[in-house]
Amino acid sequence: MRLKVSPRLISAIVVGLVVLFFVTQNWGGASVNAKTISSFLVVGIALGGIYAITAGGLVVTYATTGIFNFSHAAIGCFLAFCYWQLTVKQGLPTLVALVITLLVIAPAIGFLLDKVIMRRLRDAALVVQLMVTVGLMLTFMGITLTIWSPKTGRTLPQFFQDTKGVQLGDVTATWHRIITVVIALLVALGLRFLLYRTRLGISMRAVVDSRSLAGLTGAKPSIISGASWALGCMTAGLAGILIAPETGLVVENLTLIIVVASAAAAIAQLKSIPMAFIGGLIIGLSKSFSAVYLEWGTDWTYADEAIPAAILFIALLFLPMARLETGKIRITKRTERLTRPWEAALGAGVMIALVGAWANGWIPWISGTTFGERSTVWLGRGAGFMVIGLIMISLIPLIGWAGQVSFANFAIAGIGAVLFSHFGGQNGDALGIVYVMLVCAPLGLAIALPALRLKGLYLALATMAFAEIADKVIIRHPNMLDPSATGVLFKPVDIFGITISSDPSDRKAFLMFLVVTFSLLFFMLEMLRRSRWARRWIAMSDSPAASATIGVNLTTTKMMVFMLSGAMAGFAGCMFGLQRGALSVDSFPLFAGLPLVLLLAVQGVRYPVAAFMGVIGLASFPALYEVLGKPSWLTAIELIGPGIAAIAMAYRPEGAVFYSGRDLAGLLPWRKDARLEKELMVAKEREQNIGKDEINDMGLTRPFTQDKVAQLDRVLDITDLVDETKMVPTGGAS
Amino acid sequence: MSAILSTQDIVVRFGVLQAVSQASIEVVEGRVTGLIGPNGAGKTTLFNVITGLQEPTAGKVFFDGKDITNKNPFKRARMGIARTFQKLEVFGSLSARENILVAAEQRKTWDRSGFDPNQVCDEILEKVGLSDVSEFMVGTLPTGTARLVELARALASNPKVLLLDEPSSGLNEEETEEMASLLRKLVEEGLGVLLVEHDMSFVMGTCQFIHVLDFGTIIATGTPAEVQANAQVQAAYLGTETVVEAS
Ligand SMILES: Nc1ncnc2c1ncn2[C@@H]1O[C@H](COP(=O)(O)OP(=O)(O)O)[C@@H](O)[C@H]1O
Ligand SMILES: [Mg+2]
Repeated sequence: MRLKVSPRLISAIVVGLVVLFFVTQNWGGASVNAKTISSFLVVGIALGGIYAITAGGLVVTYATTGIFNFSHAAIGCFLAFCYWQLTVKQGLPTLVALVITLLVIAPAIGFLLDKVIMRRLRDAALVVQLMVTVGLMLTFMGITLTIWSPKTGRTLPQFFQDTKGVQLGDVTATWHRIITVVIALLVALGLRFLLYRTRLGISMRAVVDSRSLAGLTGAKPSIISGASWALGCMTAGLAGILIAPETGLVVENLTLIIVVASAAAAIAQLKSIPMAFIGGLIIGLSKSFSAVYLEWGTDWTYADEAIPAAILFIALLFLPMARLETGKIRITKRTERLTRPWEAALGAGVMIALVGAWANGWIPWISGTTFGERSTVWLGRGAGFMVIGLIMISLIPLIGWAGQVSFANFAIAGIGAVLFSHFGGQNGDALGIVYVMLVCAPLGLAIALPALRLKGLYLALATMAFAEIADKVIIRHPNMLDPSATGVLFKPVDIFGITISSDPSDRKAFLMFLVVTFSLLFFMLEMLRRSRWARRWIAMSDSPAASATIGVNLTTTKMMVFMLSGAMAGFAGCMFGLQRGALSVDSFPLFAGLPLVLLLAVQGVRYPVAAFMGVIGLASFPALYEVLGKPSWLTAIELIGPGIAAIAMAYRPEGAVFYSGRDLAGLLPWRKDARLEKELMVAKEREQNIGKDEINDMGLTRPFTQDKVAQLDRVLDITDLVDETKMVPTGGAS
Repeated sequence: MSAILSTQDIVVRFGVLQAVSQASIEVVEGRVTGLIGPNGAGKTTLFNVITGLQEPTAGKVFFDGKDITNKNPFKRARMGIARTFQKLEVFGSLSARENILVAAEQRKTWDRSGFDPNQVCDEILEKVGLSDVSEFMVGTLPTGTARLVELARALASNPKVLLLDEPSSGLNEEETEEMASLLRKLVEEGLGVLLVEHDMSFVMGTCQFIHVLDFGTIIATGTPAEVQANAQVQAAYLGTETVVEAS
């Protein structure tokens, strides 16, 4: 007798029970009658329609270019503000403003992004692809916030605001909502028609499967990918304009729609446009259900906003397991040699010396400024930067080595900080730090668990969803962090005779403690990189299929690195709490964690020293402000910094540390190997670029001759299609 | 001689395409078994089924007398199946030495014979002839050398059966010759090899037994001489005029 229960069924039952629990616990008491049901449906379907539009665009871009665009909603937000500017501010007629926004500005952004950045990313590592779009997201947020200061409130009127709408039973559906649903349907049909019935659309789909296949349909690759991005931006803008009247013209709100779009995209398995629309509807209906029927108590004030993230998590549980793919390996364009122990020790020493010299005022040229004088304010800031450095360094093994892109470590640190206030922080008990690390290790694992069997992008989405849930639900729960409690949550802690606290008199000691700990972690990571653990993680990241065929258990290997990273983030969290002294409930938003990952990735996520360079990068802007006053050009640079970082990553995917390290090492007389390596790599890179240019020159236009196919195959190095004459023995007849 | 590895009526379907149809093959320890056939015949797919990277639509895989059809890839590796890939799957950001070391260290988790991974690694580097480039990142090595790294990595897990997917592509004639003699040496030591290869002189010179796959179906099985004489095989290879013969 066989009784086999499928894991999916178990998941479904568990999820069902959990949802039921939350629904019954927070039932608002509204009676379920025709009136509430119809208002639930009207609101839900309209909201779902908007989500569906943005999700559809996100999926189209991903399916046709292979790049998941985290800046999708931020671009939509920017376009909604553009539209506001044109209509409300400049007084242009609605239709004209719509045409300018959606048919001129949006496609222009799309084509530009494609041309300058995205086209270079097709063969880049997942980390690079993701971080570039995260950088763009922060840039679009920054630009929007600068042009349209958030201090002024703005509202975007609904379409046909002054009309009455349509009476549907007991509720009125405004024309805005009706139009929204109609537009959503039109977009769905339009996208489907475009992708399945037009030549451009067919090429767009073919490009994902194989570049040479796309060529055969007769479209230029550059036009195909440009069109994908333009289409993506247009849907993002449309969704932004439609939703802004509902959520308010607020940058954070509009940008967070990326979580919604990601959840719908996950339901669509990143490829099915109809499913993306259904996903959007599910989320819209869930939110509307919560609004109409549920009454979240004071314990779960913000739970409503975490619904899309929760749905994303649930969707991941039901996705089919990813195959171990072969033939997708990316050729590394770099060389490196293992850092020797003495070099790592030297590096750690230099870090301590640098920070120590600054903290003690031994660096002369910056004295005279409050920065140089090391006011307690600056010592406190310095400690803050080092704490962020600790969070960044926790990502090195996880993202850099094991290739598991996670946006959750800042949230884990947040949870660690809050836990520490319970586990001994309030009594100055250093042992509490150990407890926190013991909790955060499995926590890091738990976040990754639903995505372990899926492909890497889903993990990034899962961690993003977790960061959102942690901020909105976990940290804000009164049992975690009581918002009414005031004063210091963390008493000074004595570790090895050093008192660390946020107290101004302890700050120098705290800073020194942090830099020493940081250097120790740096040294330990460098040694770990030489060990079999790091080797296995890197192997897994380079080729999961090959790792499995030499006997690597991918699941446990991944679990290990998540636990390590989680524990390190938990430690950083304790330091975060001690450095701040107190915590507020809004200390750990998703958007505060993303720049850290970006900063680290720009520096080079494989190299522990990048975390230190990240600290210096963090400190540099405040320091420059201190020294130079506050010149507006510097503000501008800071604003578009993430964008510059994004572009830099597209061109220099290994990160600044790698390229500068290689060049610097080449200057040392005894590092002949570094000079040789650089030559080899430059030659190799040039070789590959020649290949790319050749494809562009060929243009891939019809008629597609046999010659061109052969040429293309050679350029693309398609070994599968070697001529069959090779079957004939050498010297044989032919 | 009984087979250590065998497949039984393997079927693999990709949508409407039947990539492998009822393929049954056998691999015996101590000899090289060839698996040949035109491009797209389903050879790589069959390799993926044997190593667990591809779930078969139907059929069974047996190793060492056990049904391993539903086993994880890593468990099969631990039982003694190793492979190389037609499209390189090296660990590009590790050095050649580390590529092999990873496999040797991994072997520690199931092989309790108390060997030293570093020593195993050095021996294999020597055997495969990679000692000179052992410290280079594999991502920067030429394809031919990277293929040797894959072979060395497969050997480091001390397999009973080794699956090689077009090992000579990207190698020059001299390197191919070295590869052939290395294979002969390995087989003498008792290893069972399943070889997919397009270079016919290589195949005919090293294999003791050959399966021919065409459109997913095994169309011939036998010694090199028998296979070459088979009319169906000759038809499968580019019309019938070109006679496949050993050089
Ligand atoms: N993952 C896959 N999805 C769909 N079709 C596939 C996949 N892998 C291989 N195929 C198809 O299966 C057939 C056999 O491929 P393959 O095993 O690589 O042949 P061979 O190695 O003999 O050249 C080919 O037609 C190929 O296109
Ligand atoms: Mg093949």
